[in-house]
Amino acid sequence: MKNNHKKEYVKLIDTTRCTACRGCQVACKQWNELPASITRQHGTYQNPQDLEWNTWTLIRFQEYTDKDGNFKWLFRKDGCMHCTDAACVKSCPSGSLFHTEYGTVGHDLEKCIGCKACTAACPFDIPRYNKQTEKSYKCDLCYDRLKNGEQPACVKSCITGTLSIGEKEAMIKKAYDRVEQLDNKAIVYGDKFVGGTHVLYILSEPAAVYDKLPANPSMPMSVILWKNLFRPLTLIGMGAVAGMAALHYLIKGPHEVHEKKEGGE
Amino acid sequence: MSDHAQEMVQVTDATERIAHWLLAGSCLLCLFTGLGFMFSSWSFIPALFGGYYAAKWIHIFSGVIFTASLIYGYFMWKKDCVFEADDAKWILNGGGYLWPTNNLPPVYKYNAGQKAFFWCVIVFGAIIALSGLMMWNADIFPNDLAIWAFTLHALSAMVIGSFFVVHFYLGTIGNPGTASAMFTGKCTKAWCETHCPRWFEERSKKTEAA
Repeated sequence: MKNNHKKEYVKLIDTTRCTACRGCQVACKQWNELPASITRQHGTYQNPQDLEWNTWTLIRFQEYTDKDGNFKWLFRKDGCMHCTDAACVKSCPSGSLFHTEYGTVGHDLEKCIGCKACTAACPFDIPRYNKQTEKSYKCDLCYDRLKNGEQPACVKSCITGTLSIGEKEAMIKKAYDRVEQLDNKAIVYGDKFVGGTHVLYILSEPAAVYDKLPANPSMPMSVILWKNLFRPLTLIGMGAVAGMAALHYLIKGPHEVHEKKEGGE
Repeated sequence: MSDHAQEMVQVTDATERIAHWLLAGSCLLCLFTGLGFMFSSWSFIPALFGGYYAAKWIHIFSGVIFTASLIYGYFMWKKDCVFEADDAKWILNGGGYLWPTNNLPPVYKYNAGQKAFFWCVIVFGAIIALSGLMMWNADIFPNDLAIWAFTLHALSAMVIGSFFVVHFYLGTIGNPGTASAMFTGKCTKAWCETHCPRWFEERSKKTEAA
């Protein structure tokens, strides 16, 4: 990867290769200097139980029996999908969340005011709010590393070839080639919705099978109404009324008072 | 105009005026800072308040004052803002503002337009207060529900913001002599006879009787 490309990058997560070693989870914490949390054993290797403000990527462990009665372990690395039509960027009031030159979604924590719009808007339920710092957090695909021509920490740590990153077109092709190699028993997830995500999965099961993975994610209607309708209409509404008031003043003039019996009664 | 008509009449008391300005001031502060959040390119607005983070808390505190004065205002003004049969007639005549008419029903304290503004602020003010409270604590609600609070907040801002401009125009240059009702609390007799004749008549009778 060269840093002067300024082309869109896509990270591929080939879950068919994942052994759930969680090296990526640890590498993410290390590079981003995220503290550990005290966790509990819940009878699963999944730890912590969910994404947290200080856990930007998490291997989800899932026990699954398919329709033929075959038992399977499903491992899925959860984290920001880096949408092209990102609901978080659209809903962010302060410009804290932004699209980088790589097409990924960066997060300038200095600008975050903890309004929690992104946490509510994200169709993948990724950003997490921290009450103490009054900020929300999520993976930024190691924007600092990308800018320096380095792979994200998770990709760098991956020993099985599950994680890889490269230019968008090449990675989409790589994903479909891999599915073909798997006799089309797997699917590509991510390139067909929210304008195409900059994180793609190869999933061995239908998307709906996976915990916390929306089968058909989209920009929420609430965010579209908010930002595409009510936002412009607020200005248009106030402006139009002010214009009408000005016209009324110029055409009809002010409504002067009159003494009794003169008009109204 | 005769001197008699220029005599000043007390139309609002101090409590009413304080409640009005707390409501109006907090509403405008919320509207102004809110526009800074709505249009992320308008960063000059939060910059005036010391940045987005400070603007967020000013917006929230101002919202709390707005909510409190809204509740107070509701109980204070609601009895004078109940719609009655004549209000439809007033609306159908454009309130006398849009075309010449001799069919305006005499108004009691508030005309149908003022009543409509009151109910608009109450209804959308309640929505904006409740959705704001929800946004403030969005982390305890399911995402699919919490995000609609943001949408409803923007919708209410649009409605109140637009209606506010009407209120501002009609309360100032659109109706000369009106604004003093919210400053000194006094308007001229002629103003009362024009804008709230039934209320003024009732008041005059009471004064005579006393």
